[in-house]
Amino acid sequence: MTSIGTGYDLTNSVFSPDGRNFQVEYAVKAVENGGTSIGIRCKDGVVLAVEKVISSKLLKPGANKRIATIDRHMGAVSSGLVPDGRHFVSRARDEASSWRKVYKTPITTADLASRMGGYLQAYTLYSSVRPFGITAIVGGWDSELELPVDGQVGSGPSIGAGGKVEGKKYGGPGLYMIEPSGLYWGYYGAATGKGRQTAKAELEKLDLAAGKLSLEDGVKEAARIIYVAHADNKDKEFELEMTWISNLDGPTKGRHEEVPKEILEEAERLAKKALEGDDDEEETKEDDKPAEEDKMEE
Amino acid sequence: MEFGTSGMLNEDGIHVDMDRLKKGEVNLGTSIMAINFKDGVILGADSRTTTGAYIANRVTDKLTQVHDTIWCCRSGSAADTQAVADIVHYQLGMYDIQNGRRPTTQTAAAMFQELCYENKDRLSAGLIIAGWDERHGGQVYSIPLGGSLHKQSYAIGGSGSTYIYGYCDANWKEGMDEEEAVNFVKGALQEAIKWDGSSGGVIRMVVLTKKGANRHLYLPDTQYSVRHQ
Amino acid sequence: MPGFDFSNVNRNNALHARGVPLPKATSTGTTIVGCIFENGVVIAADTRATSGPIVADKNCEKLHYIAPQIWCAGAGTAADTEFTTSLISSQLELHSLSTGRKPRVVTCMTMLKQHLFRYQGHIGAYLVVAGVDPTGVGLFTVHAHGSTDKLPYVTMGSGSLAAMSVFETQWKSKMTEQEAIDLASNAIQAGIFNDLGSGSNVDVAVITKDKTTLKRGYIKPNERSKKQKSYVFKRGTTAVLNEKIITREEISKYVTVHELKGDETALGEKMDLDV
Repeated sequence: MTSIGTGYDLTNSVFSPDGRNFQVEYAVKAVENGGTSIGIRCKDGVVLAVEKVISSKLLKPGANKRIATIDRHMGAVSSGLVPDGRHFVSRARDEASSWRKVYKTPITTADLASRMGGYLQAYTLYSSVRPFGITAIVGGWDSELELPVDGQVGSGPSIGAGGKVEGKKYGGPGLYMIEPSGLYWGYYGAATGKGRQTAKAELEKLDLAAGKLSLEDGVKEAARIIYVAHADNKDKEFELEMTWISNLDGPTKGRHEEVPKEILEEAERLAKKALEGDDDEEETKEDDKPAEEDKMEE
Repeated sequence: MEFGTSGMLNEDGIHVDMDRLKKGEVNLGTSIMAINFKDGVILGADSRTTTGAYIANRVTDKLTQVHDTIWCCRSGSAADTQAVADIVHYQLGMYDIQNGRRPTTQTAAAMFQELCYENKDRLSAGLIIAGWDERHGGQVYSIPLGGSLHKQSYAIGGSGSTYIYGYCDANWKEGMDEEEAVNFVKGALQEAIKWDGSSGGVIRMVVLTKKGANRHLYLPDTQYSVRHQ
Repeated sequence: MPGFDFSNVNRNNALHARGVPLPKATSTGTTIVGCIFENGVVIAADTRATSGPIVADKNCEKLHYIAPQIWCAGAGTAADTEFTTSLISSQLELHSLSTGRKPRVVTCMTMLKQHLFRYQGHIGAYLVVAGVDPTGVGLFTVHAHGSTDKLPYVTMGSGSLAAMSVFETQWKSKMTEQEAIDLASNAIQAGIFNDLGSGSNVDVAVITKDKTTLKRGYIKPNERSKKQKSYVFKRGTTAVLNEKIITREEISKYVTVHELKGDETALGEKMDLDV
């Protein structure tokens, strides 16, 4: 037994005597080494951003995307094992299209998160599989309008339907983070990967719960947070990838799209500028509290 | 080889089913309708079920509940429409439990359409789906024989509907209040029953609003003037 | 050659195209009825089984057991009503055992309609389902294609029109048990006397919360009276024209004859014996 430790971590679906599933915890370790991913739920849209650490100078900049579209109105980004992330996206696309086939309407972000949570949880149960080595962030915009049935003919009364309950809002932004255990929660701001602690601290400062941050500002904040989170890992170069989903009146008209080049570059310029200012501060602070960073680490 | 004109086989040796209804099948030669009004929707139907010339049931309930505030009007084969409604009733129940929220009328309409379109060769079902929910208010969908889906202000169906296209077109107003709307449905169905031999019996209605489902019953004894139950 | 032989397919298609109909299955021209009363339900049936124009059975049973408190009256193809009811009876008992609850009439009706719908009317069972369960009294009709109706009084079969005329003129709500039995048996008699496909006796089943009573031959309006004369021919009525005696020795030329001792029986015959 000594050579294999306690033996409770050798296979999936095995509990340790104190109720832990080691395989899942090891999967979380894989996530903690991945590039930082974040998502911000703004009042009029959602931003997804990822720090792509450049592992080789031979990789073509701008190629090798890490944020994928799941359905027209929804995207996902993940930290951890990239191929696991690709499989996650593949499954999410299947779920979204099967929902469309059955209910003739787009899947909501909450329903997609629920389906994927169930899927990832199943990978903690069987000895023939291993848990996903990723934590995924799913962002989407659920239409605030009445949804037609795909393929319907006509649109009902010209004056609109009778008996609607007024004053209630439907649809809107959705942001969920799904962990290797299958656990998922809805967030105002979500962060995972190597720089998550720093990113979370920055997200908390934004007071996203107030619902005042615009998508336009959200993009700038997302870029800045990725740059700040990367500051702890300065020796490696990285590339910022960013996508967004606006409401139906916004720039993407409810679709999940890449943030346009000009807006991305402007956000990066501002991020670098903010970081330079921060660096000066950090350098002065560094002498005062040298051990602070270590304490933050879990 | 000789081929009779009445034979079931045509020259290609393919069976041709000239009659939509199988021999002896129970038919809902029917008058059904559903309309949108100020506070929601109203469904209405006659109550006659026939097998050939015989009235198998003179007090049939063709208004079938598939969820709390989603109902449908059935016309065509009684067996087919009951089977389809039973399946959708089950699916909507499952939807509610699995997703933790009530299905919308659209959800129901999508389920009905899938069944009616995918099995169009096997079914004779003409359905009208009507429902109410907080977000979308009252909605009326019609699924005729081929399995297409039509969103309408009001829908009429069944053999009796042919007689009331003019009545409905002339008397229809959008945004009627409940009393006006009930009288519109009742007036239309009275005409359908009067002119269509396959329609008759009592008039049943279901009023769907935020207050839930409310049933109406009108008997021919009083020229459908008194509401019973 | 092993396998299926399809050589009759062309012949059958040719016959079919020339208008030769398929052989007909035997069906029971029947009158069956059901009627609810104050705290129970009664179903009744005639007892004639026909095979084309022939009366195949003068006293058959058309009331089928489903569960102790659920019974079914069947019309249509005799074999189909028999097998369908016994199949559902079996499934319902297993369901009852696994849920630990008494079977319900709606459950039985739903199983029947789903079974019959699956067979698209090819199972020719037309049924009246009746019973009492923890939810109360239930009475339904199930048609061969899978449609169902729920009514306070129902009739089915070729005699259903005659029987319905009795219900439509004499039925009233809140009848006593005896009133319901009388009404149902009158309706069956209307079928027996006015419908060619129905005849012989009236069977009745009464189901209440506490018990089920099967009244087999409740009314026998067609008892055969004693013949006024005897038609047995006297011995010697047929004249003997000639006589020839064949001895065992002569027969032995053609077949082998075994002698049997005492009560011994031939081996071949023994195997055919029915106990």
